[in-house]
Amino acid sequence: MSEAVRLDGITKRFPGVVANDDVTLSVERGTVHALLGENGAGKTTLMNVLYGLFPPTEGDVYVDGEGLERDDGGGYVGSPERFDSPRDAIDAGVGMIHQHFMLVDPMTVAENITLGNEPRKWGGLAVDRAAAREAVVDLSERYGFDVDPDATVADVSVGVQQRVEILKALYRGADVLILDEPTAVLTPQEVADLFEVLEELTAQGKTVIFITHKLGEALDAADEVTVLRDGRNVGSVRTADTSREELAELMVGREVMLESDYEPATPGDPVLRAEGVTASDERGVVAVDDVSFTVREGEVFGVAGVDGNGQSELVEVLTGLRDHESGRVELRGRDVTDASRRDRARAGMAYVPEDRQERGLVMEFDLTENGILGSQHDEPFARSGRVDWDRADDHAERVVEEFDVRPPDTGAEARSLSGGNQQKFIVGREFARDPACIVASHPTRGVDIGSTEFIHDRIIDLRDEGKAVLLVSSKLDEVRGLSDRLAVMYRGRLVDVVDPDAVTEEQLGLLMAGEEPDDVPSLRGGADDAADPPEESGGTDAGRTDGVAGDGGDRE
Amino acid sequence: MSDDGTGGPDGPDGGDPGEGSDAGVRGSVVGWLSRLARASAAERLFISGSALVLSVVIGFFIVLAAGRMTTCDTAAFALPPRVISLGPVSLGPFSWPASMGFCYDPINVYDRLFLGAFGNLAADPLNGQFATTLSETTILVFTGVAVAVAFKAGVFNIGGQGQLVVGALSTAVVVFAVAPLLSGVVGTLVLVPFGLAVGAVAGGLYGALPGALKAYADANEVITTIMLNFVATAVALYLTQDVFQDPDSFATQTRALPSYARFPSLVFPDRAGVSLLALALAVAVAVAVAYTLTRTSFGYDVRTSGLQPEAAEYGGVDAARTVVASMALSGALAGVGGAVYVLMVLGNFQTGVPDYGFDGITVSILAGNNPVGAVGAALLFGVLKSGSIVVDVGTNVPPQLVGVLRGLIVLFVAMPEFFRMVGRRVGDVAPERDRGAVATDGGERE
Repeated sequence: MSEAVRLDGITKRFPGVVANDDVTLSVERGTVHALLGENGAGKTTLMNVLYGLFPPTEGDVYVDGEGLERDDGGGYVGSPERFDSPRDAIDAGVGMIHQHFMLVDPMTVAENITLGNEPRKWGGLAVDRAAAREAVVDLSERYGFDVDPDATVADVSVGVQQRVEILKALYRGADVLILDEPTAVLTPQEVADLFEVLEELTAQGKTVIFITHKLGEALDAADEVTVLRDGRNVGSVRTADTSREELAELMVGREVMLESDYEPATPGDPVLRAEGVTASDERGVVAVDDVSFTVREGEVFGVAGVDGNGQSELVEVLTGLRDHESGRVELRGRDVTDASRRDRARAGMAYVPEDRQERGLVMEFDLTENGILGSQHDEPFARSGRVDWDRADDHAERVVEEFDVRPPDTGAEARSLSGGNQQKFIVGREFARDPACIVASHPTRGVDIGSTEFIHDRIIDLRDEGKAVLLVSSKLDEVRGLSDRLAVMYRGRLVDVVDPDAVTEEQLGLLMAGEEPDDVPSLRGGADDAADPPEESGGTDAGRTDGVAGDGGDRE
Repeated sequence: MSDDGTGGPDGPDGGDPGEGSDAGVRGSVVGWLSRLARASAAERLFISGSALVLSVVIGFFIVLAAGRMTTCDTAAFALPPRVISLGPVSLGPFSWPASMGFCYDPINVYDRLFLGAFGNLAADPLNGQFATTLSETTILVFTGVAVAVAFKAGVFNIGGQGQLVVGALSTAVVVFAVAPLLSGVVGTLVLVPFGLAVGAVAGGLYGALPGALKAYADANEVITTIMLNFVATAVALYLTQDVFQDPDSFATQTRALPSYARFPSLVFPDRAGVSLLALALAVAVAVAVAYTLTRTSFGYDVRTSGLQPEAAEYGGVDAARTVVASMALSGALAGVGGAVYVLMVLGNFQTGVPDYGFDGITVSILAGNNPVGAVGAALLFGVLKSGSIVVDVGTNVPPQLVGVLRGLIVLFVAMPEFFRMVGRRVGDVAPERDRGAVATDGGERE
């Protein structure tokens, strides 16, 4: 076996920061290599160096899709690469698939794949569409991709779009493929499909490096795992010789409780209730379709689903950021359907928003200023229209301390914090409101394991104090582990409410994909919800589920 | 060994600017921009100062060149003969055998442009030139702060001119109608604040209009405010001509207010058209607006909406109401500017109001949209306006050339601010690449 990629002592310094510190990475040809680490460990920076986006401050990059040759003394034959731009990296056979796809939606799959390197005819004046299509068909057949070259990219699923991205890299002659957090946007089934694709690619001699912070995926898909921590390589292990616990410890630098067992909830009175809520997204398409549920004191009500199935819109309707079309929202028995965001916050609703950099924080404000976002008109931070900045600063100080926000400097601008620390600050601020109800949308997205564990514990603490928690997350482990009842959302509807302890991951995956698996431990229409008017008749639910399944069928 | 052989020369290669990659150049530009965006007040002053010097240096040569292209009897400025030769090669443009004359003297021009605005302060601190400077400054503080407030709320108010005109006309008409009821010191004490209030209300309503159009009808405020400027000017012309025209005057103007209804000039002579009281009011308003923006809940709402509308919405700020409120405030400030123009400078309303509203935009940008900084920027503008008059009168330099020099100064001083704003915008995109880097930084600083 020979190496396809060798990064030798890579150091990447940004002004004031060392993102990669003397990292050496070697990737065998024809293997899948996972680059594992917490947020800000330097994974993406390292791969950007390999992809030519940043020149390394120190160190050498060697790439050869056919395997690097060594001379007798162990040195490499040939000189290190010197990539000035991704173009150079692509020419050297390195392809990168970014987390956010770079596809042109209205164009077809074949057009997207050949874009920039189109076969031409008429002396270069026109694109040879037939040849382009043929090249794409050949490629997808060779690697066993199930992709329709004539479909419009906007119409295909996220999983297929990802395959289009991979094909695009292959079309440009990539031998080494870098995938940045490839599973973040996929359903469990799509993840399984992706891993099969990776297997096929490596079987045909391609080399795959994928960036992830999910232990399970690294173990499932990779042959070898390299763990980065604080910009340093803290160890490379073969997946056959390691365990989740060992990897977690390498990642975090201390022992981590991977599975927390929480006491079951003791639900009390209803706090947050939605009845037949319907709302549209920005394009006017129905995004939330007749959703009803109740969250009680002292319970965590989870909402699972693939991103983009109406969870964001549902949360915005509940928190007062989006207009609804019909239905009712009640908070502690009070009708808040038409109440403003500020009124709802004053009535005891805390909200951890999905998008921390757009909504949750004002990036140019420091933490003191951000600490009163949402309370800028309320005691104790404001009195007769004036803001008491001393109090605000004390408050920010407490949040920073309690939630271990780094750097612990309330004068730092929000934009200077890493994503995980921004998230910790928002969670801390919202939890400090002493609310009756917490709507948490992806509270640990982009947060590393250690902080995730902390946030999870705090959510359970609040639950045990008798708060009602609505938890929306696309992380299955998270919603299953924390929720007392778990709803699954698909195309704007709550397709089912299940017992998170009894449901299997496969069943959840199928529900999230709009299928109707057998023997789901549904809580709908059961004794648990008998008191809730909208869920009185099991018959409607069944009909609803049928409708959704038929819906899913239409699409294929 | 082959390894070392290739590794060696490669090292210095990295530093070769000829190899400068696009990413590298882009990176350094972005870095420079974001540094500029973070520049502190002191740094900004320094940057503005150096820009000022640079603009003077360039203007110096423009004046010389223009002076060469004109014909005149006697040279205003001359360079002694100079011959530089390197052996047989003569350095054409750098050597001249006889003395070279220029029709305009750049040193004199700049001397009068900057110092002329202050007149002879030592001999007569209350000279007319200095009074003009202060009077221009006073009105520009109002319009500059007006634009700054809207900017802070994320609204681009180009309608300061219209709001100022509406405020000025309303003040002139309403105060004239009320004035006969009062007289003397009591008249001044009541009528001046009353006139300012009228200007504020009229300008505020005229500013709230495009605000409401933006908030509730999704109309772009840049377009509506520009158009409302024309509406204001045209309607004011009609009203002055056909309704409020002073019958004793051939000029298009309203009847003069009695002197007790005008700003008491206090220190300066009456006809100087300046009142230190109005200037003090302008400075106080700038400080009060700065206080409101940074220390009150309303100011927090305004700044949040301006920086990140989505976050403001999340924080319970009613976006529509904030837009209307900040536009009303902005219009009110411009309207007060108009009232001051009437009560302090003119004593009535005359059509053909100078571009105070438009200059307010530049003043605000020069000040980085900082209300207190607007006082300094307005002073620079006041100096340039008053100084140009001195240059016009005291030298043979054509007014167009003085306009070029003024424009050059504003252009150069505004440029860092302009780049700073661009830097902020780019900075919004940049964090993606910074994010990974900064994360480790959390650990580093421990």
